[in-house]
Amino acid sequence: MKKKKTVAEDPAEMNASDSSHEEDSEEAPVKAKRSKPDEAGGEEVVYHPVKLSRNDLYRPPTAEELNQLKEAESLFHCSLLKMQMEELLKEVALSEHRKQQIDSFIQTVTELLQSVPDSAEVEVSDLSWLSGAVKVPFLLVPKTTKGKFHMAPPASVDLIGSYPLGTCTKPRVMVDLAVTIPPDVLHPKDVVNQRYPRKRALYLAGLAQYLTSSSDIGTMRYSCLHGNRLRPVLLLTPPGSSSFTVRVHACPPPGFFKPNRFHPQRNNIRSEWYTGLQTSQSENSEPPTPRYNSSVLGDLLPRAHLQFLSAVSSQCSAFAHGVALLKVWLRQRELDQGTGCFNGFLASMLLAYLLSTHRISNTMTAYQLLRNSLNFLASTDLTVNGITLAKNPDSTAPSLAEFHSAFQVVFVDPSGHLNMCADMTACTYKQLQHEASVSMEFWDNPTVDGFHSLLMTPKPMIRTSDHVFQLCELVKLQSSCKKLNLLSELMDHSGNYVHAALPFILSLLQRGLGQRIRLLTHSLSPDLEWSVESEAPKHKAQPPLSFGMLLRPELAASVLERGPPADSPKAAEFRQLWGSRSELRRFQDGAITEAVLWGGESMCQKRLVPKQIVTYLLQLHADIPESCIRYVGAMVDDVIKTGSEVPTTGEEESLLVVQSYDDLSRKLWRLEGLPLSITAVQGAHPALRYTQVFPPVPLKLDYSFFEREKTSRSLVPKEGKPCPAYITPIKVICHMEGSGKWPHDRLAIRHIRTAFHIRLGGLLKKHHNYTCRPCPTHLDVWKDGLVFRIQVAYHREPQVLRESVNAEGLLIVRDNEEAQALEMATIHKPLLTSTLHGLQQEHPCFGAVCRLAKRWLGAQLFSEDITEDTSDLLVASLFLQPAPFTPPGSPQVGFLRFLHLLSSFDWRNNPLVVNLNNQLTAADYTEIKNDFMASRESLPVMFIATPKDKNLSIWTKRAPCVQMLQRVVMVAAESLKVLEHQLMDGSQTQDVRVVMRPPLDAYDVLIHLNPKQVPLLCQAVDPPPVNFSRGVLTSGRAQSGGALPVVDYNPVSLYLTELRDAFGDLALFFCDPYGGSVIAVLWKPKAFIPMPFKTSQVSARCVEVTGEEVNTVPNVEAILEDFRVMGEGLVKSVEARTEKWSF
Amino acid sequence: MFTSGVKGQTKMAPSKKKHASSQPCIIPGGFTVLSLQFRSDSAAQHKLYVKEHKVRAEKSSRRPLDRTLFVLNIPPYCSEAVVKELFSQFDCVQSVELRDHPGSFQEPGPKLSRFFKPAEKKGFKVGYIVFQNSSGVTAAKSHPYNAPLVVCTEQRPVRTGVQKWIQQYTESFIQPDKLQQIVDSFMEDYDKRKEQEEERQRKEAEQQQEDEEGWVKVTRGHKGTKARPHSEAANKRALQKEMRKKKRKELMNFYTWQHRNTQKEHIAELRKKFEEDKQRIALLRAQRKFRPY
Repeated sequence: MKKKKTVAEDPAEMNASDSSHEEDSEEAPVKAKRSKPDEAGGEEVVYHPVKLSRNDLYRPPTAEELNQLKEAESLFHCSLLKMQMEELLKEVALSEHRKQQIDSFIQTVTELLQSVPDSAEVEVSDLSWLSGAVKVPFLLVPKTTKGKFHMAPPASVDLIGSYPLGTCTKPRVMVDLAVTIPPDVLHPKDVVNQRYPRKRALYLAGLAQYLTSSSDIGTMRYSCLHGNRLRPVLLLTPPGSSSFTVRVHACPPPGFFKPNRFHPQRNNIRSEWYTGLQTSQSENSEPPTPRYNSSVLGDLLPRAHLQFLSAVSSQCSAFAHGVALLKVWLRQRELDQGTGCFNGFLASMLLAYLLSTHRISNTMTAYQLLRNSLNFLASTDLTVNGITLAKNPDSTAPSLAEFHSAFQVVFVDPSGHLNMCADMTACTYKQLQHEASVSMEFWDNPTVDGFHSLLMTPKPMIRTSDHVFQLCELVKLQSSCKKLNLLSELMDHSGNYVHAALPFILSLLQRGLGQRIRLLTHSLSPDLEWSVESEAPKHKAQPPLSFGMLLRPELAASVLERGPPADSPKAAEFRQLWGSRSELRRFQDGAITEAVLWGGESMCQKRLVPKQIVTYLLQLHADIPESCIRYVGAMVDDVIKTGSEVPTTGEEESLLVVQSYDDLSRKLWRLEGLPLSITAVQGAHPALRYTQVFPPVPLKLDYSFFEREKTSRSLVPKEGKPCPAYITPIKVICHMEGSGKWPHDRLAIRHIRTAFHIRLGGLLKKHHNYTCRPCPTHLDVWKDGLVFRIQVAYHREPQVLRESVNAEGLLIVRDNEEAQALEMATIHKPLLTSTLHGLQQEHPCFGAVCRLAKRWLGAQLFSEDITEDTSDLLVASLFLQPAPFTPPGSPQVGFLRFLHLLSSFDWRNNPLVVNLNNQLTAADYTEIKNDFMASRESLPVMFIATPKDKNLSIWTKRAPCVQMLQRVVMVAAESLKVLEHQLMDGSQTQDVRVVMRPPLDAYDVLIHLNPKQVPLLCQAVDPPPVNFSRGVLTSGRAQSGGALPVVDYNPVSLYLTELRDAFGDLALFFCDPYGGSVIAVLWKPKAFIPMPFKTSQVSARCVEVTGEEVNTVPNVEAILEDFRVMGEGLVKSVEARTEKWSF
Repeated sequence: MFTSGVKGQTKMAPSKKKHASSQPCIIPGGFTVLSLQFRSDSAAQHKLYVKEHKVRAEKSSRRPLDRTLFVLNIPPYCSEAVVKELFSQFDCVQSVELRDHPGSFQEPGPKLSRFFKPAEKKGFKVGYIVFQNSSGVTAAKSHPYNAPLVVCTEQRPVRTGVQKWIQQYTESFIQPDKLQQIVDSFMEDYDKRKEQEEERQRKEAEQQQEDEEGWVKVTRGHKGTKARPHSEAANKRALQKEMRKKKRKELMNFYTWQHRNTQKEHIAELRKKFEEDKQRIALLRAQRKFRPY
């Protein structure tokens, strides 16, 4: 009731808004033209904050202007969205020039068609009149059918579909042309046994044969309408560039067949004819052929539909724009093409339906049309409650119930006889509904860039669904049809076993996967195109059928499928579904139920339980062998897999680390005898938030491998042996209570902290017998085979670091790097760690996505620029603001979206807001955006705002720079392309590691490292077959106590630090931190420009004297020599690849 | 340390004499170019640029003008000890100071143990080498170009790479009780300094006390022209006064004109936003950001 009321109120309001809207659009082009010259001149368009004069800002507003401002504020979130939509519409609309081209081409084609010569009458099965080259676009199975055929000029040629309606949009411009077959070619009885569809195909072939001789036609191909093989069409393009395609449909004369013949419960294909076997069935007992019926009926009605839609659109001014927006929305979701799609025609019909039922009014804007239609789709289930456009259908028209019994989705056309959604599967409609409801959700969210998520972001299946699998050999579906006993369906689909079997496979999977999935989608078989000179392709000749699943993360990975109790009537059903896998089990609560147990120990194996279910069910019920199923769910996970016995992707290891840390933290809290009490213990290491690429593993050491240090009996690496295994210190911040006793001096605080480290170490040793090593900066604790690095923090220390006393004895407070670094380490990092730890609890695959993302960044040598924290934040944003997707449910899909985010986000013009803990409000977003715009130039190129850091972007302040970000964007885009291609195309070589191997040809010098001294070698993307012994015992449990191992000793990172210290001005150094054994060096071009001799700029440079002028250039030979000297023992060779410095 | 330096000098001396026939290389600006290589068989050489230390007003006595050699471009593997030995061939070296950038001498703060010193940047350095006699400077400046200094010799191995890192790792250990001693002695020292400082501040505060009528005694500062009392406490007082004044003034939407103004501001704000949005769109349009395919 309430809803209706608002609708009724709308028109009055809309009148006002609409007029202003038009005015605005008139103004816009003028403005655009004016601004264009400057843009062209300036080349690079830069955003400058607007400066309006006082007069402009404060002049008294007119009523109109007030209205317009109000409307922008209330109707759209801001005027920006409104303008964005208008711009988008301009982009997709056909230009006048294009329309003229189309019109003239249509003219020529029409004239050509009308001059088709007559031919002699022959039997339908006689194809001899077709001269060689042109083939019939039809699969002639069974071979023969009765009837006579001859060519004759068409009765009429008319434009139908979107073009005359004005709803035709770019890209893929299709102009539909209906050619009416003259009545004397057809016979009213032709509906039976595919006689009419065959005659139509022949007629098209006849047209094609005639048109081949004409020079006005460019290319000519066959296709079929929405993948329906019964409805072939002829595609024509003009010679030369083909920016549009004309689609020629052959149609029977209007009203030639009686519509009641196509009732969904009537049969028009006799099984006797189809199977070729003699049966004694009467016509009434034959199975109904609803799909065949609707495909023939569909040919009868296009003109009527066009008339109907033109009448509707002439009343509603924004109709065409609304349809265009809806089409763009559908296109981005891959729902607008293929068999059973929700195409532009259905979109127009939907709008017409909404208009006719007064759910939308004639005066609404395109924006409101889109919104209301999505709202309708989201809230109406056409699989249960079909809708009809027929006002008062004649008595012969079927009822909605009859439609429902024959079709999965019901949307009846104005005539009342045709179900326009005949080919659509329930799953496709559910997908449509899901998309609509997701869109409605984020549309109302002011913190999301609605326009972008709604209309600009493509949603390919591989990036949308958590798991995807493909049926590769579609021929196998023939045997499933046999197994599922689908003869009548096969007849109805005229032999297309793929479409016949699909609904049954879908419902089987739905039942089997049940609560584990939220949504099951499948790819729509694309409209095939083939040349007029080749035979119609077989049914199997289409790309593999893909299925996508949106998982429920909390249930998807469960290894147990608990069924009904053994004695309940449902048990039989359960047993029937699961076959021999179903067994009786007794549970802890005493119940004895049917249950299926799937395999899987570690998280990464459990994530693939859906795969086990899918393969098992398809094999059992549909006869599809496992070899035909290509399950794409965890292919990328390989690169972060570790574990010798049970492969894991790090969840279990991370959990161990976190548990050990929790234990340590408890023990710290309980320590007595400290002069000040502990106020907080916080983890500040990626391993404590489940995002460490390779989480630390408890180690047991081989003491004989090491040397001993004399004073503390700690282990020290031995010269000449391979570098010992790297032990990551896990950082823990321990905040001490504030007190007047803390000194107010930086050095004194540092010493007091040291005293705390010593005391903490002493106590931990005394009470728990942990080996400790206190240092001025930290305390290392060796516990359970892990090393924790405790750092005591005093909350006023950053403040003290900022204060200094100037010459006049005045206290000045000045921000400095040291204070910032300390704040970062003791405040921001622990906070981020705990927040992201929380996120992991909410989304179980968050950690795995972070790990994949960081592994990729590392492998592509970007870890220095996109730091671990930055990358974790980027991934967090995918989970916190998934629009237009849902939060990633598998590591793979998360990783793909990470790459997409990196490559497609408009870093130049937008801040990326990561709303951790949901602390930011809409007002905060606006504030962040405005601050960002106002000082864009001075802010980091990659700007990430968080609730605690709204306008500085502390995580990306240092890096990346513009050039590096550009490269990251480029490589991410390329990796995404390659990876998606590989994942979706089974015919390619399957090596997902390709995206992890960086292109090294861009670098100037490669420093090859001695693998012996690279401690993390086994983490490399391509790990070497043999590894060195690194002083680690594989057997036995790690324990605390004993000598302190070698902690945080990694020659590669030490070497890199030295290189950057010494040559940071001259070159950039890149290395994969996870087992990379090559360091790539890139000279900075600026450093190689000769510079005048200055005492402050002569580092590693040599002089060139020309007369009195002294210039310096880098002394490259000496530098290369230094690379070797400084990395003595680590460097295997230095390979200079370019001679760039000689210019 | 010092004796070994002398030894190095006596050994190096003959080799230097042999090459004395060749000329030193002096570039415009007065710097002499010396070659330096890591090992005697190294293929490439770094160039050191040396000159006598000359500044208009050298305040510190640590760099006597006539005896100090100013050296540029010292590679990272040359520590102070290595540099000292390298230059001992010219004359006895009294002290070596290595820095990241050229600049005047800075007094070190309170003495710190090496464990408490912040990590140094290991880049190319600038050196100030003080010889015992001024002849060292001239000897260095006339050293021939084609007789390179050699950093690492058999008598004097210099560790780099893995060896050096292992050594560093080993040296980073210190026993907790020794560390505690360092801390204790520093804190004692600190407490003493703090007491002295407090004493000084109390005196200063006494001087700047306001009397009952709000007058402050103004004395001449050490530079002679100070008029206002310039101190932390005085600044804070002034700031607080300002804040109080401001607070008294604030009274929103009380008068009609104030109300009207707020409304006007709101419309202006909307207008501004509209213009901003328009411009943003124009920018995006120029970048072709509206193409949905």
